[in-house]
Amino acid sequence: MRWIAAVLLSAICGLAQAGDPAYTVRDTDLRAKPFSDAESLSVIAANSKVEILQRKSSWMQVKVAGATGWVKMLSLRLSSSTGLRKSGDSGLAALFNVASTGNSGSTVTTGVRGLSEEQLKNTHANPQELEQAHAYAVSKAEAKRFAQEGRLSARDMAYLPEVKGDN
Amino acid sequence: MKANLTILALLLSCAAVPASAFDFSNLDIGKTMETLKKIKQANTDIDEPQEIELGQGIASNLLGAAPLMKNQRVQQYVNQVGRWLAMQTERPDLPWQFGVLEDNDINAFAAPGGYVFITKGLLARMNSEAELAGVLAHEISHVLRKHHLQAIKKGARTELMAEFTSEVIKEKGGNPALNKLVSAGTEVYTRGLDKGDEFEADRMGVVIAARGGYDPFGLPAVLQTLQAINPQDSGLALMFKTHPALADRLGLLDKLMANSFDRFENQPNLSARFMASMGNTK
Repeated sequence: MRWIAAVLLSAICGLAQAGDPAYTVRDTDLRAKPFSDAESLSVIAANSKVEILQRKSSWMQVKVAGATGWVKMLSLRLSSSTGLRKSGDSGLAALFNVASTGNSGSTVTTGVRGLSEEQLKNTHANPQELEQAHAYAVSKAEAKRFAQEGRLSARDMAYLPEVKGDN
Repeated sequence: MKANLTILALLLSCAAVPASAFDFSNLDIGKTMETLKKIKQANTDIDEPQEIELGQGIASNLLGAAPLMKNQRVQQYVNQVGRWLAMQTERPDLPWQFGVLEDNDINAFAAPGGYVFITKGLLARMNSEAELAGVLAHEISHVLRKHHLQAIKKGARTELMAEFTSEVIKEKGGNPALNKLVSAGTEVYTRGLDKGDEFEADRMGVVIAARGGYDPFGLPAVLQTLQAINPQDSGLALMFKTHPALADRLGLLDKLMANSFDRFENQPNLSARFMASMGNTK
């Protein structure tokens, strides 16, 4: 029951990042609404700390120095040094029994299985599990039905060339 | 053959140069020709059935390290999203298979031929179908561009590749080189792909998600979520070791997505369907 509540709550909030601190990587317009042509409330300088409220596609609603508005999500980087994330947890981490905050202890594993470097080096084939994976595969027709159910419609877009400044 | 003769001529001309440091007096022409033949074979591409065969072996090894999460609904849902995305690509007819691994680490894996796996730990950090789509599309891109195959080729001895691709051995039925290449392919997961391959998969992944009708900002959203996790978290160790820094990946997507993605702004993220598919697991 607690899971259902957590899932519903997160479906409403819709964001794991909510409540997380972030900083701007460049001077960024704080806009009244999540649109490029919305009124600019102010310009937030690069390296300003903001608090994330919610995401709407490419926009992030943030609180900064008492003001609330929208900035482009990719003008933000989250502060990993803070490490602690609780407020905005989607609930799935708890549902799946996965630690939801930074765990710096050693990985708790049962037996020898796991996806650490060492474990991957010492793995063996698992044909039964591969069979099971085959069984879960879906056909193109089924995928199409699924997309229609979600009102997803295919769009055309060419791949994009490498942008300058890639590492 | 012409190329072989050219290389042979080159070798012979080298032998003619009076350099005391090199002794070519024992040069075995027959052996040299044999090696050159093998190198030539290795340059022939691995065909699609071979790619799939190799991928199956690698996927089987991966499942030996972490089995599938025992939840049919979640597994089928991930396959539905993944297959729909794969249909929007240049390789829609590969035997695409998607799976969630029962493991708390945060990571995702692609194997040649259309195998894509994400860990339960990564799935648990997601908030919407668009985020799942972004991650799956990144992995799909590795398969499309055969990044894994290239990494295997780069690491394997030329003779081994030649043996694997050689028609003669294939006709006999068995392929002893397969097991060795499967092991090599599994080890690629511990070293990671080229950084450039990861950036390319990010670039292609957001496009494939957009083509599928999703909010294309799902992938950067997941990367941002991971930024907020304590980097000391042991569940991130291998992912961090084998991928470029999150800030660099986000920086690239920032530039890439600045203008060309505005028209996809209002595509759905289907967070409710995602949560329902995950939530009814009890």
